[in-house]
Amino acid sequence: MTGNFPLPYNTLVVAGGMAAVGCAAGVVGCLGVLRRRSLAADAASHATLAGVALALLATGRRELPVLLAGGLLTAIGSLVVLVMLRRFTRTREDAATAIVLGVSFGLGITLLSGMTARGIPGSAGLEQFLLGQTAALTAADALLLGCLSVAAVTLVWVGMKEVVLVAFDAPFAAASGWPVFAIDTALVALLAVMVVVGLPAAGAVLVTALLVIPPSAARQWTDRVATMLVLSGAFGLTAALVGVAISAAVPRLATGPVMVLAAAAIFVGSFFLAPKRGVWARWRQPRRLEQEGSAAGREQTQAPAKATGGSSPWKP
Amino acid sequence: METLNLPGGSGGMHLWAIATAAMVAAGCAVVGTLLVVRRMSLLGDAISHAVLPGIVVAVLLGGRPGGLWVLVGAVVAALLTVWLTQVLHEGVGMSEDAGAGVVFTTLFALGVVLITLAASRIDLDPSCVLYGILELVPFDTLLLGGVEVPRAFLTAGLVFLCLLGGVTLLWKEFLASAFDPAAAAAAGLPVAGLTTGLLAATALATVAGFEAVGAILVVAMLVVPAAAAELLVHRLHLVMGLAIALGVLGAIVGYLAAWQFNTSAAGMIAVVLGIEYGLAVLLAPGHGIAARAWAAAGLAWRVACEDRLAVLWRAEEGGEQAADASGVLTRLVCLWLRGSGRIAADGRLLPLGQTEAMLIVRSHRLWEAWLGRHVELPLDHLHPPAEWIEHHLGSEVRSRIAADVGQPAGDPHGRTIPPES
Amino acid sequence: MPAPLPVSNMSPQVSPLLEFHDVTVAYGRRPVLWNIDLSVDGPGLFGIIGPNGAGKSTLLKAALGLVPLAGGSVQFFGQPLRNVRTRVGYVPQRETVDWDFPVSVFDVVLMGTYGRLGWFRRPGPRERELARDCLARVGLADVASRQIGRLSGGQQQRVFLARALAQQADLYFLDEPMAGVDARSQEQIFAVLSALRAAGKLIVVVHHDLRSASEWFDRVALVDMRLIATGPAGEVLTPENLQRTYAGPLDVLDELGRAVARRERTP
Repeated sequence: MTGNFPLPYNTLVVAGGMAAVGCAAGVVGCLGVLRRRSLAADAASHATLAGVALALLATGRRELPVLLAGGLLTAIGSLVVLVMLRRFTRTREDAATAIVLGVSFGLGITLLSGMTARGIPGSAGLEQFLLGQTAALTAADALLLGCLSVAAVTLVWVGMKEVVLVAFDAPFAAASGWPVFAIDTALVALLAVMVVVGLPAAGAVLVTALLVIPPSAARQWTDRVATMLVLSGAFGLTAALVGVAISAAVPRLATGPVMVLAAAAIFVGSFFLAPKRGVWARWRQPRRLEQEGSAAGREQTQAPAKATGGSSPWKP
Repeated sequence: METLNLPGGSGGMHLWAIATAAMVAAGCAVVGTLLVVRRMSLLGDAISHAVLPGIVVAVLLGGRPGGLWVLVGAVVAALLTVWLTQVLHEGVGMSEDAGAGVVFTTLFALGVVLITLAASRIDLDPSCVLYGILELVPFDTLLLGGVEVPRAFLTAGLVFLCLLGGVTLLWKEFLASAFDPAAAAAAGLPVAGLTTGLLAATALATVAGFEAVGAILVVAMLVVPAAAAELLVHRLHLVMGLAIALGVLGAIVGYLAAWQFNTSAAGMIAVVLGIEYGLAVLLAPGHGIAARAWAAAGLAWRVACEDRLAVLWRAEEGGEQAADASGVLTRLVCLWLRGSGRIAADGRLLPLGQTEAMLIVRSHRLWEAWLGRHVELPLDHLHPPAEWIEHHLGSEVRSRIAADVGQPAGDPHGRTIPPES
Repeated sequence: MPAPLPVSNMSPQVSPLLEFHDVTVAYGRRPVLWNIDLSVDGPGLFGIIGPNGAGKSTLLKAALGLVPLAGGSVQFFGQPLRNVRTRVGYVPQRETVDWDFPVSVFDVVLMGTYGRLGWFRRPGPRERELARDCLARVGLADVASRQIGRLSGGQQQRVFLARALAQQADLYFLDEPMAGVDARSQEQIFAVLSALRAAGKLIVVVHHDLRSASEWFDRVALVDMRLIATGPAGEVLTPENLQRTYAGPLDVLDELGRAVARRERTP
């Protein structure tokens, strides 16, 4: 009797797939945040649009795997360009990221718009990759994305020790003989894959929010990397499900912004309510044992991004 | 609708669209130069996204798109972004990059959701927010002195004049704070105020660009011309001027290309700006790729010539026959040395070649003497470092070394050091 | 009570434990170390002393392969580093780390065991036992579960020392371990290093302070872009040598380095 299931099979599979995607985004995003590579992921995500358009143009096929393969190629291409800009020009990292981001997105929009104007079949549907639309996913698509997400999480589980070592103290890792550049590259490649996997759900513009907000929320609750990964996955999963649900209820809402707002709500809750680091907890126990350590305890690292050159750009 | 008196009626509308895009690009270049030079490009990225809810709320509260309230809403949103980022940084120790990422994506998402939900009361389309509606700009006009001027052009023009005026008035202060914010603050300059002003200016430039090119491509207009200009010139006022020129050029060429290829003007403008940047990377004098490749080739050639001359001189000194030239490069070098009158056809050194060879060998042996005296390296360690450095010592450094070692007659191996001339 | 250190089975070596052979290092085009020839023959506490900017840290980093060599080579136990990585431990300068990173003191020390574990294997009970032992040796057993940001400067330094101990090396490099560390922690660190020396290890320390150098080190090397002198501390740290190293005006070498960099830019 079909009345047993409150939701049709399709919806369940899509929900399940998106839950996996949200979870994997949170987990992989954790490593990206720890290794300070989230900005690179942002540039890559804006470049995926051009790849998706090119894939449609080159093959004429609209199946999701084909489109996403194109997106992955341009995402990785944009990262290569970013590395080359850093090595061969005097342009600083923050400007280089903005350049790659803006120009590659412009290329994507140019292709998209041109294809739509020429009435190329399937091009109108590419618009959903801007801000995401899970309602457009088939069960097969969702299964594929879900499986890729599970694979990504498995890779993180396997390689966690190496990435955390490099993220925490790269010179020590290099001196111990670890191939820091290879490990870094593998992480960034995984981030690019995750960006592409999250593309149908959250869109090119906002998918990196799913890689950054859940880990930031998770950090509030724990001081251990393993716990942070688990929590971030849980938060990402929740945000994804909320996004799918609300977007299904209000079809004209794109999924990406809703998922981001859900994740942000979790973040705000963590900001206030988390024990020890949350605002509520600190208000109740002021200056507890913060004085154990010297003031040097809160030093920032020499961030790989040269964005904060002299003084902080964020202090007005 | 009135158009400028040009042959081909709709040409006037294109002209206005191009003019608007160019004006937007100029304003963005002014702000963008300061952002790039102060390494605040990502702030431009953040603010261009974060102003969206400010704009939407302003329009919902009755403001007109492009009107004063919208500008105010944008500036409020920009300041809110920065304040929230600070709160996160100080409250829970989040790094500023991560905090800004959380804040501006959330605000942008909020803006999109607001637009979608209030679609009936608002005239903005979410995807247009991302890439603008430059093509429709000429249709929304105000009557100004008998001419129908697009409102977006007026807004962009006003913003550009304000920005230019502000930057000109505060030029010294911006220059000092860009070069060394800490020193500027110590000297009493209101660096904090300047930064706030810069944030507000970014918000204004973003709003001006919103209708033209949308949120994300404003980032391209802010950063790319300034980054390209930075590679080509090195004084701040030149960078800003060149950035404006490149931005305007990109806007014009981009629009025309989009017209030609029937695609989005905003996207095309960003692509053209990217091409400009790529050309700057390749062709920049001094540090550009072409220039560096040329310099490297020049150095390799000079080293090869000097090496061959030195080999011939040492052979003559020892009374032996020099080894024949082997390898393509050495043979080419020999051809050139013969052609320029440095060696004779039979391989002997001519006076010009002798002088140059002597200077090389002098550099080499002087350096060995210096090493031998000060660094106490064993004899067999002296040759390789001298092999390398002999090509890089000029006459002043040589005289310094000679003075330092006491004008020696011979190197540690006992060979004579040739005189300077 | 921490277990006693195993005495190193380093039989009398034919080749020196650590040898710099004509090492030149350049940052960009400008050489900062010129033709360093230095040989350390036996175990003990070896200090590298010199003024700021003299290239002392660079010497360490060049040996470990963290910066490229413009000339020369470095040998460990008569072999290149890649053959004997597990025998070399490293305590870098503290500034390179993000103190808000979500790891505990114990987690950091455990990282020292990763080198011997190899790819993808997780630390097991033996590694955890070793980490606890190393923490006890530096006197930090009671803060094992604390996040590293909540430590004093001296405690942070001792954590990194414990991590290096967990590497179970025969040769240790320490880069300015006493900088910014309170006196009591300095004594504790020195006690650990002395224990290592007694166990027959070689500990090479880049040190910033002249006064303590003669107390702590058996042998030293005076470095100021080049090797000025090396040998037993008492013989090397003479007023004359120190004058040459610290009080001399800007060397021909530094000018030379700049001249080379300038000429290479505009041939």
